[in-house]
Amino acid sequence: MGTRTEVLVIGGGSTGCGVVRDLARRGVDTTLVEKGTLTNGTTGRMHGLLHSGGRYAVSDQASARECIEENRVLRDIAGHCVEETGGLFVKRPEDDEEYFQEKLQGCRDCDIPAEVLTGAEAREREPYLAKDVEKAIAVPDAAVDPFRLCVANAVDAENHGARVETHAEVTDLLVEGGEIVGAEVTHESGKGPREHGTPGEVEEIYADHVVNAAGAWAGRIGDHADLDVAVRPSKGVMTVMNTRQVDTVVNRCRPKGDADIIVPHETACILGTTDEEVGDPEDYPEEEWEVDLVIDTLSELVPILQEARTLRSFWGVRPLYEPPGTGTQDPTDITRDYFTLDHEERDAVPGMTSIVGGKLTTYRMMAESITDHVCEKLGVSATCDTADAPLPGSERPGDLEAAMERFGLRSPVARRSAQRLGSRTEDVLASCDPNPVVCSCEGVTRAEVRDAIDDSGTDLNAVRIRTRASMGNCQGGRCAHRMAAELHPEHDEATARAALDELWAERWKGQRHALWGEQLSQAMLNRAIHGATMNRDNDPARTDDAVDWDAFDGGRSDAGEGEVGEEGIHGD
Amino acid sequence: MAIEDDVLVVGGGVAGMTAALAAADEGASVRLVTKKQSTLRHASGLVDVLGYAPDGKLLADPFDALTDLPADHPYALVGAEAIRAGLERFDAVAGELYRGGHTEKNALLPTHGGTVKPTARYPASAAAGLASDDRDALLVGFETLTDFDAPLAAEHLEAAGVPFDARGATVSFPGEPRADAKVTRYAHALDEDADGERGRLAARVARVHDGEPRVGFPAVLGQEHPADVRAALEADLDADVFEVPMGPPSLPGIRLEYAFRAALDDAGVHTVRRPVVDYETDGEGRLSAAVVERNGQHIPHYADSFVLATGGLVGKGLDSDREAVREPVFDCHVPQPEDRYDWFRDEAFGEQPYARFGVDVGDDLRPRDEDGRIEFENLRAAGSVIGGYDFATECSGTGVSLATGDAAGAAAGADTQ
Amino acid sequence: MSDAESPSDDFEPIEVFPDEETPDLRPGADDCYKCSTCDTNCPVAEVDDDFPGPKFQGPEQWRLKRKEDASVDDSISKCSNCMRCDSACPSDVGLSQMHNTARAEYVEEELSKTSLTYWRNRILANYRTSAFLASKVPRIANFAMNFGPARWAMEKTLGVTSEREFPEFATETFREWWERQGGADGSRERAREARERRGEDVDADKRVAYFHGCYANYNTPEVAKSLVRVFEHFGYELVVPEQRCSGTPMFANGMLDDAERHAEVNVSSMGDLIEQGYDAIASCTSCSMALRQEYPELFDIDGIEDVAENTWEALEYLRVQEDLSGELAGAEVEDEHLASLAYHAPCHARNQGLDGQALELFDDLAGVDAEDVGDSCSGISGTYGWKEEKYETSMKIGEEMFDHMEDAEGEVGMTECPTCAMQMEHGTGYEIRHPLEVVAAALT
Repeated sequence: MGTRTEVLVIGGGSTGCGVVRDLARRGVDTTLVEKGTLTNGTTGRMHGLLHSGGRYAVSDQASARECIEENRVLRDIAGHCVEETGGLFVKRPEDDEEYFQEKLQGCRDCDIPAEVLTGAEAREREPYLAKDVEKAIAVPDAAVDPFRLCVANAVDAENHGARVETHAEVTDLLVEGGEIVGAEVTHESGKGPREHGTPGEVEEIYADHVVNAAGAWAGRIGDHADLDVAVRPSKGVMTVMNTRQVDTVVNRCRPKGDADIIVPHETACILGTTDEEVGDPEDYPEEEWEVDLVIDTLSELVPILQEARTLRSFWGVRPLYEPPGTGTQDPTDITRDYFTLDHEERDAVPGMTSIVGGKLTTYRMMAESITDHVCEKLGVSATCDTADAPLPGSERPGDLEAAMERFGLRSPVARRSAQRLGSRTEDVLASCDPNPVVCSCEGVTRAEVRDAIDDSGTDLNAVRIRTRASMGNCQGGRCAHRMAAELHPEHDEATARAALDELWAERWKGQRHALWGEQLSQAMLNRAIHGATMNRDNDPARTDDAVDWDAFDGGRSDAGEGEVGEEGIHGD
Repeated sequence: MAIEDDVLVVGGGVAGMTAALAAADEGASVRLVTKKQSTLRHASGLVDVLGYAPDGKLLADPFDALTDLPADHPYALVGAEAIRAGLERFDAVAGELYRGGHTEKNALLPTHGGTVKPTARYPASAAAGLASDDRDALLVGFETLTDFDAPLAAEHLEAAGVPFDARGATVSFPGEPRADAKVTRYAHALDEDADGERGRLAARVARVHDGEPRVGFPAVLGQEHPADVRAALEADLDADVFEVPMGPPSLPGIRLEYAFRAALDDAGVHTVRRPVVDYETDGEGRLSAAVVERNGQHIPHYADSFVLATGGLVGKGLDSDREAVREPVFDCHVPQPEDRYDWFRDEAFGEQPYARFGVDVGDDLRPRDEDGRIEFENLRAAGSVIGGYDFATECSGTGVSLATGDAAGAAAGADTQ
Repeated sequence: MSDAESPSDDFEPIEVFPDEETPDLRPGADDCYKCSTCDTNCPVAEVDDDFPGPKFQGPEQWRLKRKEDASVDDSISKCSNCMRCDSACPSDVGLSQMHNTARAEYVEEELSKTSLTYWRNRILANYRTSAFLASKVPRIANFAMNFGPARWAMEKTLGVTSEREFPEFATETFREWWERQGGADGSRERAREARERRGEDVDADKRVAYFHGCYANYNTPEVAKSLVRVFEHFGYELVVPEQRCSGTPMFANGMLDDAERHAEVNVSSMGDLIEQGYDAIASCTSCSMALRQEYPELFDIDGIEDVAENTWEALEYLRVQEDLSGELAGAEVEDEHLASLAYHAPCHARNQGLDGQALELFDDLAGVDAEDVGDSCSGISGTYGWKEEKYETSMKIGEEMFDHMEDAEGEVGMTECPTCAMQMEHGTGYEIRHPLEVVAAALT
């Protein structure tokens, strides 16, 4: 006894979300399963660059052309996920002039608008650039919020009848007569939005076709049916700065190398990255040298980074793939292109297609291509409209004025809310009165937090990626418990507590890599608030030891009798 | 000519203020230089001495576990009598503002996170909230004050097994303040009672009050006149009223800070609110002056004896970068693992090396260099600038500040007499 | 060598935003760890919840800014620029710098240049101009400024509250008096005599340049005259250089252009003297605050750091350079009027670490008993309390101080700040004196 669906998509990253949206819009009954939250894997662990294609203009012009094309599409259909920052390829004196010229020519060859700026002109745009930067190429790079983008794709898919299940891990593939007919899925806490404390359950989902879009985990999915999907995961660090030192994407103009990009992302800047092949996409060392390298190297471009506050670092693994027999040694040389592996053709195991490689910028195009492939198999003739249909939230811009005046928000908070919520601004903000700010670092109000909870259940990390709450300079020190409180009373106390502990652990995970200077003081203050003032670490509710209440101070006999005596302050 | 005193205390938190009072008691002329405002404004206002033994056991009596502490713990250095002396000084400063001095036992107080914590002294305003009291309690929160969710906190207290029934309710604060009003705004409105806020609040609470003999509020019940505010609410509700300590920011902490300041004034201690940026020595191992920065001017403040009470990582008595953690005022040695990836452990709570960072002192509280030699003959340290303890996990913050502040201040004062 | 190898220690704000006047202060948000201590010190947030507090107006608002976001929240106009948040922050966030800059941006972007509010603020901020004109005809001005129908009209048209008495203009300005005393030449002579009398080197290099500010010149020359007497008593030669408004009221009204024009004159004339070996002194704590802290934070003028580093509050200077405490301990004040003083420490004195100074100095002075009335804000904050729409907030903030003044013994107040003095007088009817007047009474 299982569930039936036409297509089962495995993986809630950008590819999986793009595929489920496309299939749903073509009228195909589709289910997406993701083992964590949406964007849990590689998508949520990237620097948020929406490529202009400039980065590939020398090494891989086919990719570059795809990038600029999709860059334009996403600005149209996902306006509330994209910030049009522009980008610069910056040349320092020691960087190769010939390469600069190749880059410029490459951009022109690929129809990427490119303009050469002098050092002074570049510094006029980005005043914190080093004084000895010689020149730069300006290209239409942009910043994209991968969380919001994936969530919008998933919401659109659901609006078109798809089922999206997070915290639902594929624990086996169902194989019948040499054909993959579905997957065994283990729900961490029941079906539907996640609910802490709800017992897990196993569901067999039968499908006419399975799409393996598990990215760096695609090999593990393949293993369930003894298929060899040779993904070569390669890790890279991203270091998050507390503020925006640049408002434009800044790339180092040199052939390849670590630590060559700064992406302004929401309130922060993200520095990237390193590139090291790892064996296991979930278990690899997160190393100090990587953090030091990005800070020190990128300070050559933007010197203020050397002294600036770092909030945290996180690592992502690229789902790199190369066809068997290519034998590239250095992961930085492995192609960033994507591959569609039809296991019927490749391995004579029908019923599943894997998609590997690729990048966020071209996720929609990849999704279109794989959806075409699946539709052909299913005999579905509907055509793709995902390049033209705006994603939910991007139908029209958020109304800043209304947010300020109707909902009494301070202008920076209203502006941020309108940017995050897009066309949903009015509906969401109208849902809560009064509507206090829950996360003051990022300007996130109660209404937005509750809206995210409605959408994603008790998973506060899912709330976090939808709203940015707890992603600011205190990393949840001031708001994690407030976020958890919004779960109550719809969810009980034990659930709120478990959700808080989980968010707290996640926030700590990244901060460990930024424990010096202001962030070390912040960590100690957070520990004092949550450990000492709230005593969360020694909470009797979490330990099994019963408290002998009578052994403690029971109060002075006359206490609480409305004692007299002036105990206020006198100011001197 | 210059500015000169017997004792100069650097740092204006509990440790510094206690040290200044102790030094003044010895007959010394004392000046206290404090960079900005103290971390009392961050903390709950509870006076913890020792809530947990090194093995994590909850302590009903903090003095029971002193012998279990590691040898470099500040309590192990100064001893039980210094703790008692610090508490005695505290009781004199706080007077009617605080409770708990009638016993050496810890009290258990509800926290705004809904759990309970052990503490040695607690504001009178929180006294009716003791968790060992078996009377039922109603907790009241305000819908605009997101830090305290009363229904959730009440449910949490029951999960913690408190010996009473707790219930929570959320009301709107009279006057419907804007959603981002500060806690001082609530306190001021209740202090002034200009539009009958006390009575109106009580009336709103009465609608949800079901006869519980005690009613708890977030700690915003007045800044200047907390006893009056509480008495008014108690009369209207016919129940005991208590505050649930919060922070930061913390009104109980602010009230305590003012009590300390009044004591400093009475003791003739002069306070300068500017940072110390440098020091001068006599070239023979003694400090001669701390150099105070005043908006551009560098002004030496001379003294015979000095107390370093600048706080830990939170109070900015310790500073760090990717390479090292340092004590920036007198550049005293701070023991630390060389690699910053050894400053922390992977779990958020529990043992954390960084939480124990601080200067290394002997039992005379003089900071020592990496070879164990005294840094300056006439410098002592007090409070969380001292390493070797983790106030957050132990629940020992204010107690260490009182004990070491009292001991360091008394010794510094005695030296000059 | 690239910049990266020698990062500068000091953060220098630079222009990022399209409006060229606005420096980028976002990196200043790095220091904030959200302890909210600043909010607990804000006298406005305590009485008016339309004001979201210094943390929001400072690091939070700046951090949420993007390059293309020009507008700032209009609640910035509620900040009174008392700068208490600066002296509260344990983490060195440049709060008042952020507020001043945001306010300037708000005035520039949001406030119509033809609005009455703009002109009212500009007139209030440019007090020196009004005072200059009034001082030409002080008696008429004193009558006209407080003439009922005129005040009614000012409130209705300009929004200047009619609740307050305009300060009286002196019949002789300080500068007129100074010239009558022989100016710098006269001072040199008197200083030499004093040095001789004190047994010091007659040719000692004791020279100070006095920044008196507008108020001591036009309204309370007694303060300035006391300063001259006290400094000459200690053997200092004074010069009184050309000077304009320190800029304090202009910062508070977001009129940084006006303030910078004045600052240029002040930096130039004070800077020249400092180069010649003079130290700069001020009797008004807001003026010394401006020269020491706000100038270098807000403007880029040649020599501005030198001026900032060599400017002193007058009594602080004597305390460090001379044995002021010792001399006061041996002196006595016979003026009954000064026997009991209710002292209020101005917020701007607090910022310079001077809030305890006057009381400490008078601890051992016979005949004077000065009592602190607490560390609350007076609430006037320069021009703030003069605005009709701010008057009520201003008086609410001041209430605590008024109460404590009433509780204190004696019916004379004392403070270093002329607008605090105005508020103290307005709230209690007390006469208000400057600590320099007390020192002059004791020593000269």
